[in-house]
Amino acid sequence: MGAPPAGEDRAAVDRGGSTADRRPGGPVASVRGTDAPDRPFAVDGVGVGWRPEIAGWVADVSDLGFCEVIAESIAPAGPPRGVVDLRARGVPVIPHGIRLSLGGAEPLEPARVAQLAACADVLGAPLVSEHIAFVRAGGREAGHLLPVPRTREALDVLAGNVARLSAELTVPVALEVIAALFDWPDDELTEPEFLAAVGDRTGALLLLDVANVYANAVNRAQDPRVVLDEILDLVPADRIGYVHVAGGSARHDEAGYYHDTHTDPVPDAVLGLLAHLVERAPGVPVLLERDGGYPPAAVLTAELAAIAEAAR
Amino acid sequence: MTPHGESYVSTPRVGHFDGPRASGTLAERQAALVAALVAGAPDPPGFDPTRLAAARRALLRKRAGEAAKHWPVLAASLGPRWSAAFAAQHAGREPGGALRDGWDVARALRAELTADAARELRDREARWRYAGVRPPRPRRLRAALRTLAARR
Repeated sequence: MGAPPAGEDRAAVDRGGSTADRRPGGPVASVRGTDAPDRPFAVDGVGVGWRPEIAGWVADVSDLGFCEVIAESIAPAGPPRGVVDLRARGVPVIPHGIRLSLGGAEPLEPARVAQLAACADVLGAPLVSEHIAFVRAGGREAGHLLPVPRTREALDVLAGNVARLSAELTVPVALEVIAALFDWPDDELTEPEFLAAVGDRTGALLLLDVANVYANAVNRAQDPRVVLDEILDLVPADRIGYVHVAGGSARHDEAGYYHDTHTDPVPDAVLGLLAHLVERAPGVPVLLERDGGYPPAAVLTAELAAIAEAAR
Repeated sequence: MTPHGESYVSTPRVGHFDGPRASGTLAERQAALVAALVAGAPDPPGFDPTRLAAARRALLRKRAGEAAKHWPVLAASLGPRWSAAFAAQHAGREPGGALRDGWDVARALRAELTADAARELRDREARWRYAGVRPPRPRRLRAALRTLAARR
């Protein structure tokens, strides 16, 4: 596909066919705010997932394009000082939900929806993000993101839940492809087909985590680049909200599966996949996630520089 | 070649385990899967048991990492043994939240805690009420200070 359409065209796209599936009251927000009508993406450049443990380092990152905060980790009435400071500097901050369970067949918890919406409001966020996943069922918490079956039934659930979430928001939602160690026997669609269908049915943008694409592909004995190309063949670049990059490793697992740990360095193979993605979707915003095993600031700085280089 | 040394396959639909599939609503099937992953229930039919086992380990490791943030002294005192100690306590037991999950490890190891780790446990006990049955509840501030002063 060619260059992403200009702002007015994009708004028209957002009002297009996919919105037919939305419930009344659902959002028809353009990905582009009215303050930036000629930019192809809601945020720009290279970003970092803000975490309290690395707040000092994040504050010193030069040319920081944007940030993410874990929505469940902050109090909307009083966000952390470091996040407030970033907003004061004009750095966009995206609330990233991890426990809404948008792929769960049980009803969304209204308090969790309200929390994410309140975060978006207080941060003046250009969009919010969550996952194509469920995290609880039958009264039990899984403790992490679990894959949904790639079926029409799961698409119905996601569409309903995203509509309920979007009804509380004034900004778009981006949904992230997760790293999954297993697939459901119920699957009817490939992952690229499913991601495209999720976008069509929910109207949400895709949060394309290249490390998760890599993890899923190698753990399914597929070529990550082929899978990424299939996704990009089916999901137009202007439906990508932004991109995640994170570290992982196979060394933690006796079975040899690659784990998306967010506590290891970003492998060269993932950086190579990012470079390929950016070739096909120029200018796509990219964010580094790190959730533990924090290295010295200089190591993080070098990793971010490598990401910026790959994303040029 | 994949990092595992296998050749890439051309079909994208691998990862399936041939066999019967569960019936029931999606909510019921999701509940059965969560129960198998965190609460010791049998694997639902049709899933690859090797992969579910890997997911089970990954979930425990993730929980251990989060509990370590609530129990930094305890986790540091165990060092590389933290993940194994956590898994020994929590394999097959559903998540109770990072504070409670770590607390269960501390209680199980109470007799062998280092002095610093024991102090961390006393500090939690002064601030929260937790007997291992219901989730920890904050004690009232004055009571917490009294307990803390008496124990220090």
